[in-house]
Amino acid sequence: MIGDAFVFDCVAHVFNFEKSNALGSPGAMFSNHLYAFHAALTPSGETVLPPESFLRKWRPEEIDEMVFGQSDTDMLVAMPLPLTDLYQDGLSAWERCSELASLRPERTVLWGSVNPLEGKSALDLMERQVREFGAKAFKFYNVRYDYGEPFPWRMDDPKVAFPVFEKARELGVKLIGVHKGVPLGPQPIEHTQTWDMDGAAAAFPDINFVIYHVGLPFIDEVCWQLIRYPNLYASLAATINFIVRAPRQFAETLGKLLFWCGEDKIIYGSEAPIFHPQWALKAFWEFEIPKDLQEGYGYPALTEQAKRKILGENLLRLHGIDLGQAKASVDAS
Amino acid sequence: MASVELILTSGWCPFAARVLGEVKEKLEALPEISQAHVRVVWDQPWTMDRLSEDARNKLRFLPDPAQVPDRQSYIAGHLGKDRASDRSHAVRRRQHDR
Repeated sequence: MIGDAFVFDCVAHVFNFEKSNALGSPGAMFSNHLYAFHAALTPSGETVLPPESFLRKWRPEEIDEMVFGQSDTDMLVAMPLPLTDLYQDGLSAWERCSELASLRPERTVLWGSVNPLEGKSALDLMERQVREFGAKAFKFYNVRYDYGEPFPWRMDDPKVAFPVFEKARELGVKLIGVHKGVPLGPQPIEHTQTWDMDGAAAAFPDINFVIYHVGLPFIDEVCWQLIRYPNLYASLAATINFIVRAPRQFAETLGKLLFWCGEDKIIYGSEAPIFHPQWALKAFWEFEIPKDLQEGYGYPALTEQAKRKILGENLLRLHGIDLGQAKASVDAS
Repeated sequence: MASVELILTSGWCPFAARVLGEVKEKLEALPEISQAHVRVVWDQPWTMDRLSEDARNKLRFLPDPAQVPDRQSYIAGHLGKDRASDRSHAVRRRQHDR
């Protein structure tokens, strides 16, 4: 808990940055991008790891300690990366995320992840991740770089995307995240845009979709989509990390989201271990939308109620977890 | 020596690395400049105020909240434009179901 807010972090990865894991220069470029984000956005006074300490194979126990031992986080999503176009094991292998979840099963939730372009084997893997490993949701990445060239797919593609959504529904999973915005490496920017979310949200109104990174820099488009579809949400993962280095930029993003979409549709995420969770959590709990932005641009204030929803209550609701039960479970552990 | 400060349109500007490199490269190609330092300014957000009125009108997707006296009316007034798009998604879905 931070203050009286329950913190449910929607993303931490168990990275494998070993050089032998990266597939050629695109994989190496991706790793270097992530290290640059760590180095550029970690504030003064906090630990910036040297490249050799960051670009390595992280252990699930280290992520668990960083999130639960060193921050005010109560619950966590262990998030795989299926980037088999850039890394041998996808970069954050789902099996290792499952190990992370198993360290504190009452506090860490496993999400599954597959590459829908793999057809039936992707559907079979979804089934295994849910039935054998307890995955509660899925996350997808539709900007890919297979066979040495851009190989994107769309979230509104009836042949590629809809079968995995239908499989999720069949498995009782009604929560799906997708990486949007923030292009990393040689990926086509147009497919990091969010236009395909309309078709996914309209065709599967019973599934809640979380647009990660609030689709930055395409924030206006995301706002208009969240207004129009009750089953679209936005995650602040990687965006909240501008809060110390660029607080007014962060205030602009959050102000737009609060005004257009409301506090019920925004979700916190740390992106540990790219960013240590605690500094952003502390800054967010103390954060206010500057008065001049409220008066000049009409952004609403960031209330404590909004902070509680964003930090944990919204994601609990999407998982169907009661706040009181979650607190009791954390206390008991 | 030249020193340039860049304000990105977004913290996650997808072209940041390229712009930083190209500005430095172009400046250092000038005969009067031996070295150029280019850095990103983080503590100042880019806003549409920096655009001409014409560019603002072309590029703006949503107005500043201060220009929206009644949010609900604004949304209701603009939702109609998207209904055709929603209908086309529904048709795609039905085609898929068949």
